[in-house]
Amino acid sequence: MPKKYHIEINPTPLDVKLVAKFKITRGENCINCGKCTKVCIYEAHKRSEADIRKLADPYMVACKNCFRCIQECPRGALVKSLEPEFQALGGSYWKPDMFLSIWKQAEDGKVPVSGAGYRGPFTGPGFDGMWTDMSEIVRPTRDGIHGREYISTAVELGRKLNHLEFDASGALVSKIFNVVDVPIPIVFDIPASDIITPNVMQAIVAAAIKIDSFVIFPAENITDDVRKHMLHIIPLMSAEAILSHAELIRHARVIALEYSDKLLKNFSTIRQSVRNLSPALVIVRIPAATGVEDRVAELVLAGVEIVHIAADYCGMEVQGDRYIKDVIRAVHLRLVDERVRDEISIIASGGIAMAEHVPKACICGADLTAVGLPLLIALGALVYQEPEKKIVMPEGIDKIPLAIARQRIVNLMGAWHSQILEMMGAMGIREARRLRGETGRAIFFDEIDKDIFGKLFQKQEAANV
Amino acid sequence: MKPDSVVIRPMPSRFKHQVPKYKVTRSEACINCGMCAKSCPYGVHERIEGHNKMRPPIDYKCIGYECRKNDEFYCVYRCPRKALSLSLNPMYDALGDCRWTSDMIVATWIMAETGYPPERTDLGYNLGNSGGGFDKLRLKFPENPPKVNREDISTAIRLNRRADGRADVVISTPVYGGGMSFGSVSLATMLSKARNAKIWNTFTCTGEGGYPEMLYPYDDNVITQVATGLFGVREETIQRVKIVEFKYAQGAKPGLGGHLLGTKNTESVARMREAVKGTPLFSPFPFHSVYSIEDHKKHIDWIKEMNPRALVSVKVSTPNDVDMVAVGSYYAGAHIIHIDGGYGGTGAAPDIAKKNIAMPIEYAIPKVHTFLRDEGARDVVTLIASGGIRTAHDLVKAICLGADGAVIGTAELVALECVRCGNCESGRGCARGIASTDSELADLFNDEWATQRLTNLYHAWNYQLVDILQKFGMKSVTELVGRTDLLEHVDYS
Repeated sequence: MPKKYHIEINPTPLDVKLVAKFKITRGENCINCGKCTKVCIYEAHKRSEADIRKLADPYMVACKNCFRCIQECPRGALVKSLEPEFQALGGSYWKPDMFLSIWKQAEDGKVPVSGAGYRGPFTGPGFDGMWTDMSEIVRPTRDGIHGREYISTAVELGRKLNHLEFDASGALVSKIFNVVDVPIPIVFDIPASDIITPNVMQAIVAAAIKIDSFVIFPAENITDDVRKHMLHIIPLMSAEAILSHAELIRHARVIALEYSDKLLKNFSTIRQSVRNLSPALVIVRIPAATGVEDRVAELVLAGVEIVHIAADYCGMEVQGDRYIKDVIRAVHLRLVDERVRDEISIIASGGIAMAEHVPKACICGADLTAVGLPLLIALGALVYQEPEKKIVMPEGIDKIPLAIARQRIVNLMGAWHSQILEMMGAMGIREARRLRGETGRAIFFDEIDKDIFGKLFQKQEAANV
Repeated sequence: MKPDSVVIRPMPSRFKHQVPKYKVTRSEACINCGMCAKSCPYGVHERIEGHNKMRPPIDYKCIGYECRKNDEFYCVYRCPRKALSLSLNPMYDALGDCRWTSDMIVATWIMAETGYPPERTDLGYNLGNSGGGFDKLRLKFPENPPKVNREDISTAIRLNRRADGRADVVISTPVYGGGMSFGSVSLATMLSKARNAKIWNTFTCTGEGGYPEMLYPYDDNVITQVATGLFGVREETIQRVKIVEFKYAQGAKPGLGGHLLGTKNTESVARMREAVKGTPLFSPFPFHSVYSIEDHKKHIDWIKEMNPRALVSVKVSTPNDVDMVAVGSYYAGAHIIHIDGGYGGTGAAPDIAKKNIAMPIEYAIPKVHTFLRDEGARDVVTLIASGGIRTAHDLVKAICLGADGAVIGTAELVALECVRCGNCESGRGCARGIASTDSELADLFNDEWATQRLTNLYHAWNYQLVDILQKFGMKSVTELVGRTDLLEHVDYS
């Protein structure tokens, strides 16, 4: 049996101030009786260290919203509300609760577990408009979570043959292409930005090495301290800049080129110029814009082996109104129609914020996903959507020891990996490679709602039209 | 109709304060004249005898804006200095979520306290705010329904429709309690569920944690659950009861199985589960002995052989092929098909599973109902739905969609003053003592209090159900099954 893929997690708290969800204020009518310290089992209420006759301000990170202090305070002196700082986090896509979840996973590396049923909306836009299926009795993994060691999350990057050809003597004549295995359907993707301090960059590379995946960096941002790790770095550049980054390309296993019309037109020449430098695989990164499925089909017919479709940070098409979920489906189906889907790999990115987005993107037709913002959030970054996109790294981020920053990202990926296994286990799917385009293992809101409620409740007149 | 054993008694909250919906603010203009204290009949304003100053307003007692119509005592108008104002309390936003709104939680508390739906008109408790499923379905009442007296309306349903000589089990209200295992909830919670089941002539379920002795007096109202870990399953526990339930999966974590941490496996839990204290216990997924419908039949036959009078219930979650599974189960001999939707409750489940795996119950019910009907089997099995049935209205909608009745879990715990904070399993367990076996926390209430709260809640639901049946002009809840024509969906009309 091949070596099992395992992500080593290790509890790693971060020494920065994180935002709490709730706020409790102590009214002036508090008589310092200490009842709250007795009823709170989470130690959110304590006496003041400076003056034990008084009560300290509530420690809200510990509060789990059980309401006991509120309901048992003899004077009704405690007032709870949602923390405005918390509510201001993120926006309509990056919901405040996602931050708490990512912070927790980065700290302990575990699957977030809680009691009581799901609290969110019935359905939602994008990935929230689909559920994954499960298999009640017969399943290939047989043992559910306890058979997880039999589930492989590995995927391949690169060109695959549609079929093999042999000559009359039975010898193989097909040329087998070079492919790269990635043990988890996730690569990191960090755009150029001045908020990425050198230690953060090193931590992201170190984490990519640790989980045996890759990180995509703009070639001009690759500093000398990370150059030695080119085996795990995918330099991103324009086709025109290939020669100026020859040294990086020589050491890389995979490189990425920005899409342009010119690139599409001259792809075979461009591909050859890379080949002259190194056997590295080439990704073409294309923004998820209107008509991207046509561009991708052209790219693939022109010989591109890996396509990276990048939506915006909220998982929306660039200047369009499709969600990345629908863009991936469109691209996938287009390539199926062209009968070339099996021959190439697709990376999807933009709005991959939670573990569930990874298998969902695969079900829609991606081979793997690229993740950026959650890695920064794991390091304490705050993201705001309104009035415009803003990322605030915590104060002192440049002082966080490399080992801690690296481990938090590894923890997050460990937690995501476990969650991907949970979903695959429930689906009865043993290999992440088989998830790709497997929409039969998903339940799409649009389809099932129409199929069940539409048939039952559509007004007769309307139905006849 | 409620059985004679049901007696409604007010059973107030065990806490000093409730979570307030409104906020009464007293400004500095107050001259402590005491007019508000004299006029407010609800006790919002207080001045202790001999004190100069008014105490801060007790917000939770305030009935809010509807008080405006009370000319003689609306404090905001009566205050000579106009020092009082009324607003929504930000505290209320910290309670509840879009599935279980704060209004729904507070209304459930009131039902558990009084036994009736709230008289207050400011609580929107029949609908949640999830933007889909039950929350988008509305009941369509006819303009001139046939006249029916409340006393003539039956809410009873039969659970055995096979005419196979086994027990003819009839429950008085089309609801029973979901499985919560010994160890996952406190003894008082477990016992009160059983006592209430007896009072209401319905059922509760052991969950997968064994059959504690304290339940023996309630044998006729307990369902023994046989789940994949087979914990606490013995010939004797199967022979005690009228219904045995096979749990294949749970809606909140379909396909994942369960895991009891070693620290939770205390001496008494281990004894009940016939396991070694301190070791983690796994309930795997799926049944390791079931890989086909024939294997499934073998299990049902095994129960039937061991207990010749028992009915067999099969609990499954809601994958795409749930309709096929249901029909298979019927052919294998099940009396009750219990489908548990994806948004159902749990003591602990991965968040990713609760949100994403398997379909909501609202789709599964009509899917299974029509498939069973097309197969000609609908009249000989009982279809029970669970997983997100929060209110009496949800129950009615589930029945209209095709279920015979429902199983509830979270609503019962909310009646015991659960706030759905979701920390049932972490650390010492439930801070409110409902789902904890911690010696201190589990003593926060006794089973007398809890039983009456549950009885009251069941009564309030039954009362609403009878109301609704009366508005439809129906004499029995069984007339409601599959009547999707009595529903409308806001997106499709």
